[in-house]
Amino acid sequence: MSEPVIELRGLQHRYDTDLVLRDVDLKIARGEIFGFLGHNGAGKTTAMNILTTLLTPTGGTATICGYDVVTDRRHVTRQIGYLPADVRMYGHLTAAENLEFLAKLSGVTDARTAARETLDYLGCADLAKRRVGTFSTGMRQRIGIAQAIVHRPQVLFLDEPTSGLDPMGVRQLRETVQQLNRDLGMTVFMNTHQLSEVSKVCTTIGVLNHGELIYNDSIEATLRRFPDEASLEDIYVRVGELAP
Amino acid sequence: MSESSTRILQVARHEYRAALRSRALTVLLVILVTATAVSVFVSATDYASQLAEYDAYRAAAQAQGLTRIAPSPLAVLSLLRGAFEYMEIIGAIIAITLGYLSVSRERTNRTLPLLRSRPLTGTELATGSFLGALGIFTTLIAATAAVGVVALGTIGHDWISPPQTLRLTLACVAALLYLSAFYCLGAIATAKVKVPANGLLIALGIWLLVVLILPQIGDTLDADNQLPGGLFQALGLNHDGEVAVLTHFTGYERVRTGIEEASLAKHFERFAFAMSDVKERYRPYGLPWLLNETRNDIGWLLAYATVLFLGLRRTLTRQQPIPTGGIS
Repeated sequence: MSEPVIELRGLQHRYDTDLVLRDVDLKIARGEIFGFLGHNGAGKTTAMNILTTLLTPTGGTATICGYDVVTDRRHVTRQIGYLPADVRMYGHLTAAENLEFLAKLSGVTDARTAARETLDYLGCADLAKRRVGTFSTGMRQRIGIAQAIVHRPQVLFLDEPTSGLDPMGVRQLRETVQQLNRDLGMTVFMNTHQLSEVSKVCTTIGVLNHGELIYNDSIEATLRRFPDEASLEDIYVRVGELAP
Repeated sequence: MSESSTRILQVARHEYRAALRSRALTVLLVILVTATAVSVFVSATDYASQLAEYDAYRAAAQAQGLTRIAPSPLAVLSLLRGAFEYMEIIGAIIAITLGYLSVSRERTNRTLPLLRSRPLTGTELATGSFLGALGIFTTLIAATAAVGVVALGTIGHDWISPPQTLRLTLACVAALLYLSAFYCLGAIATAKVKVPANGLLIALGIWLLVVLILPQIGDTLDADNQLPGGLFQALGLNHDGEVAVLTHFTGYERVRTGIEEASLAKHFERFAFAMSDVKERYRPYGLPWLLNETRNDIGWLLAYATVLFLGLRRTLTRQQPIPTGGIS
């Protein structure tokens, strides 16, 4: 594996007495599209919150592009873009205004141009002057992705990005993720329940079960390892059964 | 300009624009400016007739060759009393609402994770939001003062002089500190509770205590307020005489003063009234004496605003910007 862009070493997190991440070790190479799978409450969002510097882990370390998420927060936040689940953005601002504001906070000098180019790149220039408060879920999600990449981060975090999207929206999102990975070389870390999407878009997967990483491998190796399973859903169930 | 300053200014600008686009806030702002305008228009109309009477007296006295003419008993700045009282009550509600909206907007839109996953620290966020609110308050106070001054000049026929402008400016600075403190209170209360609306209710409860209840208790216990026009004036005592009498009631006065000093509103009122000639006993004195006399009040205003800002900074820095759910 080349130099890992995301690395977790013995990562732990505890909410009061509840241990939700248990010594998670994980390395993700540059250019991967990583699908993080797990049941509700497995600890996926907690892990993502730690990696995006929103939450301080109670144990272990995590680095992004070699920077520690706790001690080098400033550097880490320059390398990442983040789309939280069910983001609504600033409804009173237009799509372009939302992007400009967030781009400036990320240190982009010509935020207006960056916002326009990002909207053009994602094929939603027509939304630029419309207020985000009037957008549908799909439109909001596209603007959500736009704000996450407006400063051209190296790593993109997507938390349940297909949640609430119709089939067309899901397909569009998948194509966008692949486009970002291909054109801009972004490493993508995606929390998701949509196993069908994972098999189509991800290059590697990890499965979290009650805070423990029970599986981590490339999609190709996974399909080779479970030749008898018809779909990723079956593999996911199988992996869960094999967990200690 | 440093990157940190740029981010702070961006947040401030964002806060300012968002506040101006809030309907609730706009309604409150219109109510405040309208109430101020009506109050100043009415008192300026009355003032104009009193001024005309005084001018007629002075003209008659000069015509009769009198060399000693009584100075005007009128104090044009005192007509702004209503403006300061509305600022004290409605202004504080506006400031609390602005603080509430500032925090609840990020929560409702779920945008806090977007901000905090960028190179923006809690301190920068708090400072930027605070500066944005200061911008709104400056606009509000400037608009209110402009309405008042123009009404005094055009309706009251008495434009304020440069020294009076300086005193009015100082009163406006005190208003800025006063509103800033309530902004921080609204934002802290909202950030501390799970349901933002509960934060607003808590802040309004504190407003009720600080702006209405405590000053009322203090006023009721004030010996000077026991007679219409003032007890000490009825007794023919000046400020020094009043101070001399009160030295015999130090324990009582300490308790009463303690209650009043707990009230941010009272400090603002005392300072603003001293600067605007509302209290007759202050009228004979110049600005240096007034500043010395009210240093305690401006000190308390500054202390309240500073402590609450530090509280806001601490609250926003410690606030975990977790998206919905927490664990999943």
